[in-house]
This record gives sequence, structure tokens and C-alpha cells, in this order.
Amino acid sequence: MTRRIAMYGLLCGGALLTTFPFLWMVGTAFMDDRQAASASLWFIPQDWQWGNLRQVFEAAPFGTYFFNSFFVAIVVTVSVALTSLMAGYAFAKLDFPGSRLAFGLVLATMMIPFEVTLIPNFLMIRNLGWYNTYAALIVPWCANAFSIFLLRQAFLSLPADYYDAAKVDGCGHLRFLARVAVPLVKPTLVTVILFTFLGSYNALMWPIIVTSDKELRVVQYGLTVFWGEGGVRVNLLMCASAIVILPSVALYFAAQRYFLESAFSSGIKG
Amino acid sequence: MDGVDLRSVSAWTTGYALLAAVLVGLVAHKALLRLADRLLEAIDSAIERIRAPRTRSAVAAFLLLSPALAILGLFGVVPLVYAVRISLFDTRRDIFVGAGNYARAWGDPEFWRSLSVTLYYALGTIPLTLAISFCVAWLLHRAARGRGFLRTAYFLPYVTSAVAAATVWRVLLRPRSGFVNVMLDAIGLPMQDWLLEQRGVLHILTQGWIPPGVGPSLALCCIMAFDIWHASGFTIVIFLAGLTAIPRELMEAAVLDGAGPLQVLRRVVLPLLSPTIFFLAVVSGIRAFQSFNSFYALTNTSRGADTQNLVIYIFAQLYESQRYGYGAAVATLLCAAIVALTIIQWRYVGRRVHYE
Amino acid sequence: MTPLRGFICIAALTGILAGCGNPASESGRGGASPRVFKPIDETAVLFWDRQTLETADLITRIAGEYNAQHGGLPVKVEHLGDYSDINRKLSVSIQARELPAMAVGYDSMTAEYVQAGAAVPLDEYMNDAEVGLTNEDRADFFPGVLATSTNPAFGGKTYSFPFTKSVLVMYFNKKVLRAAGIEAPPKTWDEFLAQCRLIKDKTGQFGYAVDVDCSTIDGMIYSRGGELVRGAESLFDQPASVAVFEYLETLAKEKLAFQIQPGTFDDRDEFTQGRVAFFFRTSSLRPYVAAMMAQDPDGWGIAMIPQAHLEAPATVLYGGNIGIFQTTPEQQRIAWGFIKYFTSPEVSARWALGSGYLPLRKSAADHPDMQAFFKQWEYNRAAFDCLPHARPEPNLAGWQEVRTLVERAGSQVMSGLKTGRQAAMDLKQEADRVLAAAQ
Repeated sequence: MTRRIAMYGLLCGGALLTTFPFLWMVGTAFMDDRQAASASLWFIPQDWQWGNLRQVFEAAPFGTYFFNSFFVAIVVTVSVALTSLMAGYAFAKLDFPGSRLAFGLVLATMMIPFEVTLIPNFLMIRNLGWYNTYAALIVPWCANAFSIFLLRQAFLSLPADYYDAAKVDGCGHLRFLARVAVPLVKPTLVTVILFTFLGSYNALMWPIIVTSDKELRVVQYGLTVFWGEGGVRVNLLMCASAIVILPSVALYFAAQRYFLESAFSSGIKG
Repeated sequence: MDGVDLRSVSAWTTGYALLAAVLVGLVAHKALLRLADRLLEAIDSAIERIRAPRTRSAVAAFLLLSPALAILGLFGVVPLVYAVRISLFDTRRDIFVGAGNYARAWGDPEFWRSLSVTLYYALGTIPLTLAISFCVAWLLHRAARGRGFLRTAYFLPYVTSAVAAATVWRVLLRPRSGFVNVMLDAIGLPMQDWLLEQRGVLHILTQGWIPPGVGPSLALCCIMAFDIWHASGFTIVIFLAGLTAIPRELMEAAVLDGAGPLQVLRRVVLPLLSPTIFFLAVVSGIRAFQSFNSFYALTNTSRGADTQNLVIYIFAQLYESQRYGYGAAVATLLCAAIVALTIIQWRYVGRRVHYE
Repeated sequence: MTPLRGFICIAALTGILAGCGNPASESGRGGASPRVFKPIDETAVLFWDRQTLETADLITRIAGEYNAQHGGLPVKVEHLGDYSDINRKLSVSIQARELPAMAVGYDSMTAEYVQAGAAVPLDEYMNDAEVGLTNEDRADFFPGVLATSTNPAFGGKTYSFPFTKSVLVMYFNKKVLRAAGIEAPPKTWDEFLAQCRLIKDKTGQFGYAVDVDCSTIDGMIYSRGGELVRGAESLFDQPASVAVFEYLETLAKEKLAFQIQPGTFDDRDEFTQGRVAFFFRTSSLRPYVAAMMAQDPDGWGIAMIPQAHLEAPATVLYGGNIGIFQTTPEQQRIAWGFIKYFTSPEVSARWALGSGYLPLRKSAADHPDMQAFFKQWEYNRAAFDCLPHARPEPNLAGWQEVRTLVERAGSQVMSGLKTGRQAAMDLKQEADRVLAAAQ
């Protein structure tokens, strides 16, 4: 019993640390200019400014931005899930010539910081004629080494006899992957989906570089309009930030239940 | 009104067309799934018809790998080659300088200082992040009540954009009126300059006994703390996914054999989790060497030499001073360092990883 | 499975690919051949701007009026984030050899674009008999404003035009001053120090929240009759500059001033909360401070920064300039037309009123609306009155990097890591090395 109390005590204490800045953000979102500038720890607004919400939506066409962000993030996420499942499976379960070279190649793409690849990738986008298109926002991110690596590790821990058993039933690699292996790595797959979505949804530098069209702007760009040359509107920035992260929180809330059930219990149904 | 921009129209049309495709997929998903299954079966049987087993798996691998490799090749390997290539040029004058840029980095004290910041940062964040995240994930995995809430709480920092999170941290760490300083003052400790403090944290803790230039600065330690706070949501989720994959029966069997919680942890959980731990060690190493956002969001510029890591240094060379050749040379060195680190991890840690 | 062999193969492959082949974009020898650029958008005259919210709307409206007037390709305003975002996007665009027609930026950035061969000299447009500036126009601009953008390092040519200009001013909190028994804000640096000491003695508060920004330090050096560069050599070891760093040292040592986190507006916030008496910032911050001081509009004021020689005051003129880039003759001409329209008397006055930036020409300042604005509040004129004494910062290549070094030096002094003299001397050495490498 004491152990359980200690455990919950620790967890709740930690949770306070992690949620505090978030609560502060939500509180500041509804303060007036003066209180927002006071930088006090007390985050309950003295005078609730519900008008801030309206001001945020008037400041930029957030409807369009949300559509773009969702559209891009969803297409990227689905593509990454497919490409990484396939590649991760090949690296983990298939023995083929050049596998080391290919895996080294995949890992090598993780080694160079994104900030450095900005220029060559921009040149590539221009040469493909994709400047100011959805393709520029989507295609470069449709595969990533991180997800492939993560799923490879997950496939590696699958017992080898599963495939042998499936093979007896007349299952080839592709069908084994689709029908048996994917359900078995579900927690990992959900992790990949979650992080890919967040990575795409939170990107800012790349969208600014490859688009300038108003119709192609994403929500993270929307946050920059509150940084004027003469100062930042902290309350509006926080209000917009809070709105922008809501979908991420919702997605996580939905995803985390996949980390509850053991994969093996839901596994082999065929 | 200005005219309609054709490109944006085509982009929107693409958007709607794809959205429509998704909707059709949702409505007719059963039929589509059946179709996909047939297709896979057909491909599989085509592969099975290949006699030589090596060729067979090579063909299967090629099919599975080609989409990922095409994209990574185009947007991952080509930039790498490009970076190495322009690192041999003086891009301001468009002349070939060979190893000149590398020699310059070798002789540049800023480069070495940035490297030391990167190393301090890696040493300071990786072990702590992994240890803290594992403990939290383990507790979360066992907690029954309030699971959803607690898990979301620990993930919140990660979804909060770095800009918004940094704004809050900067307010908390303000030099005079920030909360942390007010608290320090209340319990009679000296106020600190936190993110502005270029003196070493060891210098401050030993009250001047160690010279100020030794070890990471207090400002750098603040950035590390921010990063541990901000990034641990990521590590926790991956640990949770790994823990979930461990069959409960194995743990129950160990408990039946009379193993205490610590023994279950050491004998069952840690070995089975070793692929996850190994993955996280490699990825955290790479992330630490490439960290940019925490530095950029908290300090905005490279003003303090003590908080300029290699990526910030490269960034300044590329985009503020327009020295692409030199920036690319430093980037290539950074890549080489990361590759070396990864290989070491693979050799000495990867070998001990337990796979079934 | 170790990816070691894979990595070795990759390294070899990369080496081979990087070593051989000679793409056309890299083949120039000696840099003598001029680079050729194309417009990003052939159907519009792109203008990359930094303004947000209300001021962005105003610029877009003004561009719309201009488009209706001239009839050719339309000017299209695109907001891309802050100056560093624009700078970064221009950097990659220069690499791609495709440019917008216009963009705003600081002149130290412009110097880099000139070196890359991407910026268009404005002289041929300014001196053009048909579309250029008349003698009346030139006389109408305040002295020094047009000279801001002339760059001696590039044959005395002008590569940018003043656009959103402001000056470094001192904001003072009357309530804090009154609590210390002070009637008027300081005019000299000696008075400033004395008042800070008085505030500390009487109220226990800090006098000044310092944003260690290069422009602020530059302004302090100007205000002591100093200069920043001669040719490509910095003058940080000169008495005026040493005096500035030693002054900061005194302020920090006596706990009269403290440094704020760079990149934030904490000094403004400490000021509006009444926790400090002074801060130094751009005059374009006025509307923001006013909004926060709304319930006490007479509790604060704006003044010229303190001086060493009252007979010859000086401060910094800063803010963005607008530059034209290599696109097509047609686009460049329309871009110049837009700049000329934007800085014409009527529009200039409208822009100054709507944005808080300074009117740059006499006729704009004399505009009835502008005059009414000046009378509205006693300090509305203060920044404008500084304009004749405001001087631009250096705009030679490498200065952008020197700015970081200046800020680093100031920060080291404020945190007691170096003495003022030591910081100034070290700064001189480092800055000279950077400037020499950049020329």
C-alpha cells in the first residue's frame, strides 16, 4: 500500500512539473496585454479576455492553415507507416545481398542535420518544379530512417517460428507482413504514426522555405504572425499555441490506449 | 481583386482529389482490403515461383525497400553528397579549395568550443533522459488508475511547440523577477542569471573554487534541463511501447518463481527491452549531436559562446554569414562524428542486445 | 548485423560522387563571371516582407493601390516570418538562382546579397530622368536618411532604400523617477548614472533593464562621439567605445542595471510593471508600450538617449531597408515604382501613422494628420525629433557576424566575466579578424 502511494505521489509530482507550463500557456491565453506582460507565476487571468480567441482567428486564416496542416500530416503519416513497415520488415527478416549497404544508406540519412540539408533539398524541389505545391511539403517526408529503424527493431523481436508456421499455411512474405506481422508490432506502429504526425504537424522551417503562397500555409506558420517587429503579443501567441496543440494532445490521448494491451494477446488470428 | 493563381488551384484540386480518395477508401474499405489481399497473394506467388532462394529473397527485399530507398536517396543521400561536395569549395568565390575548409575548422577556436558544447550536452542529456524516462515509463506501465491522464500529462511537453514551451521557461528563469529566482531569494540563496550565465556550473557550485571556464556553463545546463523536460515524452512513449510488447505471462511466471520486483526488472524486463534501449541509445546520441531547437528557441541566437553547439555554429555559417563551403565542411565533420559514435555503440552495445 | 561496412561503402560512394563531375552551377572560376538569376514568380512582382497583423494589412492595401495605378505585373506581398526567416529564404534562393523582386532586411544582410551578386544597385533608377527622384524629392528626405544605404565598400553604390525606419530612444517611467525624487529624465550619461544611484538608494530598485543588443551598444558609442568602423577596421578600442563598456561595467557592479534575456521583450515588461525606470529600444515599440500603460498614459515618456556632448547629440537610426533583386528588367522597374510610391509624401505619412515608424521626409512630417498626431501626446514627437541626430550602423560585409561578437562582449561585461576595457580590446581583435576575412 505504501509503495503504491509512493508511486502515485512520484507520478503526480512529475505530472505537475510537466503540465505546469501547459496550464500557464492556457491561462496566459486569456489575459489582457498588461497581465500577460507581468510574467507572474499566477496563471489565472484576473479579467478573462475571451475576445483573444476571436482576435487570433481574425489575425490569420487559421481555417486554411489547419486544413493544410492536417492534409499534409495525414498523407505523410500514412506514407511513412507503409514505407517503414515494408523496409523495416525487409531489413529484419530477409537475407539479401547488399542489405548492409542499404541499411547503412538508410542510417546515413539520419546523420546529417536537417538544417544542413535545407539548401540541397530546396534545390531539388525547384528542379522538380514543386515550389509552392503540396508535393514539396509532403514527398520529402514520406520515408524516414528513424521509423524504419524502430520497426526493424520491433520485427527483430518477433520469434522466427511465426513465419515458418505461416509459410506452411501458404503465406508469402507480403501477406505474412500484412496479416500477421503488422498486428504484432502494433504498439511500435502506433508510436511511428504518432511521431510522424507530430513531426509533420510541428514543422515550420521547411514549409516557409518551400512555400510562400497564402493558400499553402500551415498552422505553425500562423504562430509567427504574433511576433511583430516591435514586440510579441504573448497572450495571443499563447492562445494560438494552445489551439494549435489541441489536435496533437487529442491524437496522443487516442493513441496511448494501444500501449495498454499486450500485443501478443491480440496477435495471431490470421 | 488580383488574378487567380493557377498553381494554388492545382494544389487545392490535388488536395480535394486525395481527400475524396480517402473517403472512398473509408466507405469501401472491405472491398478494397479484399482486393489488396488478392494483390499481395498474387505478388507472393510470383515471388515463390523463383527457384533460387537467394534471388527470391532479393526480389522480395527489392519490392519492399524501393519506395523508402527512392525517397531517402533523393532527399537524404543526395543532400549528403552535395554537402560533402560543396565543403571542398569556397562558395563565396566559386573556387575549389580542397581540404581548405577542413583545415580552417581545425584552426578555428569557435569550432572547438562548439564541439565541446555539443559533447557536454550529449553527456549531460542522454543518460539522464534515458534513466528518467525509463523510471517514469515503468511506473506508468504499472499504474492502473488515472493512466490516461497521467500518460497524457507526461507527453504534454513534447507536443507543446518549442517556441511556446521556451517562452514559459524564459519567464520562469528571468534574471530578476522570475519565479525560480524569487524562490531562491525566499530561502536565502543567491539569485542566478540562468540562461545568461556564461560561468561554469561547477564554478558557481564550488563558489569560485573551480575556474569559471571549466565544465558546462549554467546557461547550457538550463538548456539541458529544458531538453530533458521537453524530449522525455518521446523516450517515455517508446519505452511504453517496448514494455507493452513484453508478454505479461513472462513477468507473472517470474513472480511465481519468487522473484521480487527488482529481480523481475533485471532478469525479465531489461533483457527483453534491450532492443528498445539500444534503439534509444543510438537515436538519442544522434539527436543530441544534432540538437538545434532547444538552443534556438531558448537563446534565439548564438550570442553566448557557451551555448553555441555545432549545429547552431553551422547554421550561423550557412545562413548568417553565407559561408556554405565552410558550413558544409563543419557539417561533414559532425556527420563523421555521429557515424563514429553510432558504430561504437553498435559494436560495444549492440552486441549485447538480446533478440529472440 | 553491423552497418559498419555499409557506412564505409557510403563514405566511398559519397567521396567519388563529390569528387567527380562538375555541375554547371559550381563551375565558375575565380568568381569573375556574374551569376545569372531568374524571378521565382514570373506572373507577379514578389515582395518578401516582415510586417504582421495590422501593419501587414496596411502594406498589402498600399500595394493594391499601386497595382491599380500602374497596371503592369502586380506587386505581391508575402510575409515570411521575421528578418532572419527572410534572410534564410533569400540565402537558399540565391543558391537556387531564383529571386523575389524585393525584400526587406537589415543593411548588414544586404551587404551579403551584394557580395553574392544578387542585389541590384538602385542608382540607375534613382537617377533616371523619368522614374527617378527629383531634386525636390531628394531635398525633401531628411538629411542622412537616404545616405543610410550607400555602401562605400561597393563603389559608393546604393543597394537599398530606407523603408521601416526608427531610432534608438530612451523610455522612462515617471512613477519610478518620482519615487526617487527625480523630476526630469537624464540628458547626459553622468546624470543617468546619478539617477540610477538615486533610484537604488531611495527605492532599492534597479534603474535600467539592459537588452544587450548590438544596435543599443552602437547607439551608446555614437552618443559619446565615437565611430564604429574606419574602412574595414573596427574602432572598438577607441576611447568612446571603451567608455561604453566601462560604463556598463559600473552599472552592473553597482547593481544599478541588469541584463535581460536577449530576444525577449523582458525589459519592456519590467518597465511597464514599474520595476525599472529606464530601458532603451527602438521608437517603433511605442504603440506596444502605450497599450500596456493604458491605465496610466502620463506615467511614462520617451526621450533622446543620454549623451556625452549635448551640443552634438547622436543616436542610432535603425530598422529595415528594402532592396531590389536580380529578376527581370520589367520586374525591377515595377519594384522601384512601388518603393517610390511607398515613400511618396502622402503614403509615407499614412504608413508612419499606421505603423509607428518614422516619417522619412519633411512633407510627410508636415502632413496635417501627422501634425495632429504629434500634438496628441507630448512624447509623440520625441522619436521624430531624434531623427536629425540619428546615424545608420555600418553595412559592410561581415558586420552581421560582428554584431554577435559585440553582444557577446556586452554580455560578458554585464555578467562580470570581463572588465569593460578588456572586453573592448578583445572585441576589437575578434571583429577585425572577421571583417578582414569577409572582404
